[in-house]
Amino acid sequence: MRMAIQGVGVTGGFGCGVDALTSALHRGEPIVGEVDGVPAYQAAIEGLGDFVPKRALRRIDHFSKMTLFGAFMALKDTGLSDVDRSRMGVVIATGYGTLQTTFKFLDSYLDFGYACSSPTHFSNSVHNAAAAHVSMQMQATAPSLTVTQFEMSVSSALLSAQQWLAEGRVDQVLFGAVDESCEVLRYCRKEFFGDGEQGPLRPANFSEQSAIAGEGAAFFVLAAETQPAAYGYIDEVILGNHATCPVKLPISDELIVGADGHQACGQWYQEALKGREFAAYAPFYGSFPAAAGFDLAVAAVSLRDQTLYTSPGADAGGRLLPRKLDQQGLTCLKFGGGGEYGLIRCSS
Amino acid sequence: MSVKEKLKQVLIEDLNLEDVEPDEITDDMALFGEGLGLDSLDAVELVIIVQKHFGVEIKDMVESRPIFESINTLAAYIEANQP
Repeated sequence: MRMAIQGVGVTGGFGCGVDALTSALHRGEPIVGEVDGVPAYQAAIEGLGDFVPKRALRRIDHFSKMTLFGAFMALKDTGLSDVDRSRMGVVIATGYGTLQTTFKFLDSYLDFGYACSSPTHFSNSVHNAAAAHVSMQMQATAPSLTVTQFEMSVSSALLSAQQWLAEGRVDQVLFGAVDESCEVLRYCRKEFFGDGEQGPLRPANFSEQSAIAGEGAAFFVLAAETQPAAYGYIDEVILGNHATCPVKLPISDELIVGADGHQACGQWYQEALKGREFAAYAPFYGSFPAAAGFDLAVAAVSLRDQTLYTSPGADAGGRLLPRKLDQQGLTCLKFGGGGEYGLIRCSS
Repeated sequence: MSVKEKLKQVLIEDLNLEDVEPDEITDDMALFGEGLGLDSLDAVELVIIVQKHFGVEIKDMVESRPIFESINTLAAYIEANQP
């Protein structure tokens, strides 16, 4: 079943809101910040106070704040801020989950013993906490779910959203892709990848490590195909493994690939693309499992504008000039290190 | 730094009372309900804060109610029970 994309809300290294993402696409230049002297992408949450009173946020961690911010912006984008949300489901895809809170909880346990472990940290570290915060703050009382399947989290979670809509369990799904960065993650990445984390991020250079840690939340209001779509439709979501059953790329679609400078995934893109032209936008938001949701947000904006935007960064193979889509479909392709892939086909 | 000053500081930091300044918390202000506006979840955090930052254990939540009335009562309990 096709799903209509009715609204989009994003916060990431490029800024917050669809307008910020669109501006980044128009500029076409990589964006990267810095944390502790190391290149990194950080998501802003300052605007969340426009949607939720500050006092109500004091027990909510950074991961859930990004989640809430993305969700509220997506809802505002649809113009549905004041409607009944009793049949709106919430599905969140995340590769890492609440990293900062989980490590804070473990630290307090290790440093002071179980008696001094914060119950607030514990409750925020529960896997579905962010989805629950969204459901509570928005009174979205239909089911809520968080899906983690590392690099495949977004595709996997989209299949659940699609199923709920097909079953008629919900009228709409507030779908979000969220991941956060933290000091421990940056330390681990430095240990694993060394100078490969220094940037610049070169998604089209499949043979070298150039990933830079990122974070953010990309949200979508999804509905059944009979409903109007402001950003086009998700036609099909496919999960597979290229090693056992090679991916079949749609011949006429333009391609947005989730290549994000991870060498381990690069070989799969190289093998599957076979020299085919593609676009990649990781230099706008960085490298993290849920970044596939940001690729989908770029696809949504591209369908709205009927324009395939230039890939940021002029490295070999991946740069395209902006061009009209001519009603073509857009396919987002994301590989994991073991050849597993998620393919999301979209069209107007 | 006095126990009272430190208490105000850690309350704001650990309970994320971002909109409150230490000097806005008066020594006799009620910590729960009217006053600082803490609730039952904060009470559990407060037990942990006192143990973590001052090394003082509060074992009985019911008996602790008078202790949690204000910064004055809490600071007095800490000073009387600090190791």
